[in-house]
Amino acid sequence: MNKIELLAPAKDLEKAKIAIMYGADAVYVGGKFYSLRSRASNFSLEDLKELSAFAKKYGARVFVTVNIVFHDDDYYGIREYLRYLEKIGIDAVIISSLALIPVVRQEAPHIECHISTQLSSLNSSAVRTLKEFGADRIVLAREASMAQIEQIARKVSVPLEVFIHGGMCSNYSGRCVLSNRMTLRDANRGGCAHSCRWKYRLYDKDTEISDPECLLSMSSKDLRASAYVERMIHSNIASLKIEGRMKSEYYIGQVVKTYRKMIDEIYEKGRLPKERLDYYDNELSKAENRPSDDGFLSGDCDNTKHLYGVNGAGVTHDYVAFIHDFDARRNIAFVEVKNVFAKGDELEVFGPKIDNLHFKAEVMFDQNYDPVELANKPTQLLMLRMPFAVEKGDMIRKAAVR
Amino acid sequence: MELLFTLRRLEPLEKLLPFADGIVTGRYFTTGYHLSLDEIRQASRFCKTFHKKFYIVMDDFISEDEKMLMYDYLDFIDSIDVDGIFFHDLGVYNAAKSYGMLSKLIYDGKTVLCNSLDSAFLLDQGIDSVMFSRELTFEEVKEIVKNLSGRVNMQIFGHLRMSYSKRNFLSNYFRQIGKDYDFKGKETLSLVEEQREYKMPIVEDEDGTYIYTDYVFEMFSEISELKNDLKRGIVDTLFIEDDALIAQVLRDYKRVSATNGKFIRDSFLHNHPGNYSSGYLYQKTNISKE
Repeated sequence: MNKIELLAPAKDLEKAKIAIMYGADAVYVGGKFYSLRSRASNFSLEDLKELSAFAKKYGARVFVTVNIVFHDDDYYGIREYLRYLEKIGIDAVIISSLALIPVVRQEAPHIECHISTQLSSLNSSAVRTLKEFGADRIVLAREASMAQIEQIARKVSVPLEVFIHGGMCSNYSGRCVLSNRMTLRDANRGGCAHSCRWKYRLYDKDTEISDPECLLSMSSKDLRASAYVERMIHSNIASLKIEGRMKSEYYIGQVVKTYRKMIDEIYEKGRLPKERLDYYDNELSKAENRPSDDGFLSGDCDNTKHLYGVNGAGVTHDYVAFIHDFDARRNIAFVEVKNVFAKGDELEVFGPKIDNLHFKAEVMFDQNYDPVELANKPTQLLMLRMPFAVEKGDMIRKAAVR
Repeated sequence: MELLFTLRRLEPLEKLLPFADGIVTGRYFTTGYHLSLDEIRQASRFCKTFHKKFYIVMDDFISEDEKMLMYDYLDFIDSIDVDGIFFHDLGVYNAAKSYGMLSKLIYDGKTVLCNSLDSAFLLDQGIDSVMFSRELTFEEVKEIVKNLSGRVNMQIFGHLRMSYSKRNFLSNYFRQIGKDYDFKGKETLSLVEEQREYKMPIVEDEDGTYIYTDYVFEMFSEISELKNDLKRGIVDTLFIEDDALIAQVLRDYKRVSATNGKFIRDSFLHNHPGNYSSGYLYQKTNISKE
């Protein structure tokens, strides 16, 4: 049995490298064209090439999203693009256009075709159809329950990919064009305005029946499937996917590292005791900026799985600094400020090789060697005395005060 | 072009069928249809008696738990004389193949079929025809219809579906605000975004929640340019209770010619004032935020 793949998103080269360094087996990224999430920075051709080479050093794979809902004009240049992806060693494309399957076979025969969740594959019959059409992997719809996922996995031979973490469309993927109507931005070509997270009055004919103090929202909580990872492993799912091509390096690092350790522990010990799951859940909560639940995995989504009030909640930690370098001789970390922290704050470092080491920020200097009491300028570079060794790519956070 | 309308209750069948070439109806894996299986069988017989076409629609997604129902339903469909099945879940393709019904399948792409290449790919798999997304411009529509002449269907009238969720937005909302409101089976509810004014019809059934455009899409002026190449034009009657209005719509689409489309449109809108729109035919949506 192959070890399950941990698949992480990245909006730019820096985040993709973080994802790989923090333990992702594969990353999925969007190019400048043909990709949803238009507001993600997205990768230039050179970035993709650099990422592919970087990933190979770590034994990781790179998937490129080619997942817009194509209009005829959008296909312009796609053959050249696919040939380029093949040339630089990209492993798979994530597609929603079925017509691309034969095109990929022709132009980039070493690249796998993964069918995007945009096709909302929800049953074994649909999976068989897509396999017959030539798909190498199917991303299941987020509307499938765990029991249904297990049933599907038992019945099909094609590798399946399942979302385990991150934001969720409240509608079936690709079946929402509210954004088109209300903002003239095409939700299926990267312009989604997240209209589902807006507030709506509800009427029956001409009578308002909504509560003005709590209007209707379709906003869903984020997905957190940590409690199902063990079952997914035993179901022979090929890949566990984290959502979030718009997310920060902190989110990517923390979520990837947590699932990496969880998966490894399950493989090592055969099962995950409740106290260990609680530990990992607590770790995941450090990166959350929206409440989360298990979505459809446990069955239906009732009102407790929706957000009717303020969308942001539950943040337990603030990401305060990224470590760019470490001078082991002087025990000085060169950090980039991300959020406010002050001399005397209790901080926590985590990284690919570090698990939550605590220290107090005591000695800080700016680049002119002037002492700093309050680090409150995002992107400012500081020197921070550390009581232990750290590495480039490690991150620093502090417990949030709300 | 075959002119079809969606039959959502049995009652208006006799009244409306003379104005159309056939009907589209359904029971499972779709929304807003209120016919029993017996009534569907009855409607099928009625259509055949008058040499009209009869189509079944199953345009929802199908969960693994519902697969048995899908097969039972296909058994039923196989037992009546249908001319085609509009489907959206690709699982239906695999299942229909085992019934030898591939050539009756019509893929309704809803919001995700916007180009000729994907349409051609699906047609190459042996299905009858495709129905593409409603978010295309008229220029795009003409191009696709021309490229795939005789194998394309289109919704030509009615509210357009804008979103489809497995979540029960209405039940959940009422539970959240502690309100006991009987909305089951109602097609009179609508949403108004708090910064906007238009009302978008919303329906919840056992399969989830559906939201539609506030306006009724029409293309009387444009249809004459497509009539020769379009296989079927569908008048969707959802949320339109007035059967006389539907009869007029069908009559008007029938009599549109190369020269009178604009006149017919103007006179229809004059006689039936309401919230009508050509949708995205002349309004391209941006690819991304600007």
